[in-house]
Amino acid sequence: MADILDIKHLSKRYGSIQAVDQLSIQVGEGSIYGLLGPNGSGKTTTLGMVLDVIRPSSGSFTWFGQPISRDTKRRVGALLETPNFYPYLSARKNMQIVADIKGVSPQKINAVLKLVGLELRMHTTFKGFSLGMKQRLAIAAALLNDPEVLVLDEPTNGLDPEGIAEVRELILKIAAEGKTIILASHLLDEVEKVCTHVAVLQKGALRAEGPVSTILSAKDQIIVSATDMAEILRVLPQLPFVETYTPERDVVYLTLKEGYGSADVNKAMFAADIVLSQLSVKRKSLEAQFLEIIKQPS
Amino acid sequence: MNLLRIELHKYMSYRTVWVILAIFVSVFLLILYASSKVTINGKELGEDMYHLPELWHRLTYIASFFNLLFGILLIVLVTDEYTFRTLRQQVIDGLSRMELVLAKFYVALALAVFGTLLLLVLGLYFGLIYSPDSSFSAIFGQMDALSYYFVQAVGYMTLAMLFGFVIRKSGLAIVAFIIYSKIVEPIIQLRLPDTVDEYLPMKVLGSLTPMPGQDLLDQLTAPTQMLSPAWAALPAIGYIVLFCLLSYYTLKLRDL
Repeated sequence: MADILDIKHLSKRYGSIQAVDQLSIQVGEGSIYGLLGPNGSGKTTTLGMVLDVIRPSSGSFTWFGQPISRDTKRRVGALLETPNFYPYLSARKNMQIVADIKGVSPQKINAVLKLVGLELRMHTTFKGFSLGMKQRLAIAAALLNDPEVLVLDEPTNGLDPEGIAEVRELILKIAAEGKTIILASHLLDEVEKVCTHVAVLQKGALRAEGPVSTILSAKDQIIVSATDMAEILRVLPQLPFVETYTPERDVVYLTLKEGYGSADVNKAMFAADIVLSQLSVKRKSLEAQFLEIIKQPS
Repeated sequence: MNLLRIELHKYMSYRTVWVILAIFVSVFLLILYASSKVTINGKELGEDMYHLPELWHRLTYIASFFNLLFGILLIVLVTDEYTFRTLRQQVIDGLSRMELVLAKFYVALALAVFGTLLLLVLGLYFGLIYSPDSSFSAIFGQMDALSYYFVQAVGYMTLAMLFGFVIRKSGLAIVAFIIYSKIVEPIIQLRLPDTVDEYLPMKVLGSLTPMPGQDLLDQLTAPTQMLSPAWAALPAIGYIVLFCLLSYYTLKLRDL
């Protein structure tokens, strides 16, 4: 898997504030890469630097193994922070300008507007659009040159639940076409639902990085109970796949080793002649995991 | 040329542009019409006003006052790009910072062409109707005044563009532009010897369209030293290049 974007020791300093601190990440081809962090953690600054609008204080980055140039920009579609268009122009005319800048045939405009569901509103001026429509128009503009990589900065910010669902669906639809997507978000469940890889940022520094499944989906908790609790507690230490267990009044919380699930617990209990009255899987809350990552000393 | 086409797409349906151009044309016509009623030494200027070839100098001198309007228009167009954050989006989409400056410079050129063509049409119209002398040499003899006006308009607009790029906020940039061109530089001019101040940007640009009858006035009062239009053209073009380069470095050194 070739690296689409390779960031090396990128830093940005605003006066006394270190917005991005020695950030190094690699985005592989075909991945949906999430930049996760609270507001002010340096996500937008990082994207601004790799998109050539913010000057890095130090460090370097390459797109497709090359320094940024008109050619690499042609292969990337991006929206940074807000949808940026001329408010007095219609959606269609705004797209015409983007097409001219990107050197794309204007015939493609209708197709992308259709993709984001704005084909019926293309003659409405941009200022007459709702926030969700503006956001969708920005995604349409980013898609206009059929880029290999899509960079989206907080694409669901300020949208209502319906709009959020629409945009997420759109992202997954685009990703299914094999495009690489880089997504900055402060929403944990967004990153968890959409991304394949994640980098967690805090105060401009990288706190964790890797596939979403290893970084965010920490081990699930299993809750069991039975009429005879003592029996359960006798069997549990003998099971090789149980990592930890914590008895609590009338239930026991378990975590299992890699590769085992609740079915294994059920089977083992049944083999020991224990009938469970409760067996449920509880996902550790994302917030809890996130706070854990953030709290780790760097 | 692609850059100019992109700019035209932006402004074709932007009312501010058309309103400012309409103000320019209508007020200019009004002044041109009204100035024939000006009385000098008890005698109405009347149709003398429109005599060729002096008409070219009168037209360009009057038009020079409207450069302020063009300058403000250019500031609005540049600062809009900051307000709408479209400058940043255009860089993301593939334009270089040099192209951002060139695009606005082309707009300045286009507006100057528009102004010059308007003067040409008006000059020919009024000149051919009212001028007793409509010989070839009368019509074309001093038409070079138009080319100096063109350089002057471009010069004003590139300075305005620089103010827009540096200051980013339209109101502030317009105020700074007016204060610089109308107050700060004239004060500096007073403090400097004539041989130096004639090379200051506003004075150079002003020298391109000297007041008609300035030589007459100079005989009566202490002459103010100015470059002749032909001599002023060279430093004026130098300033235009300088303002464009400064605009470029402003963008290059800053985050968008």
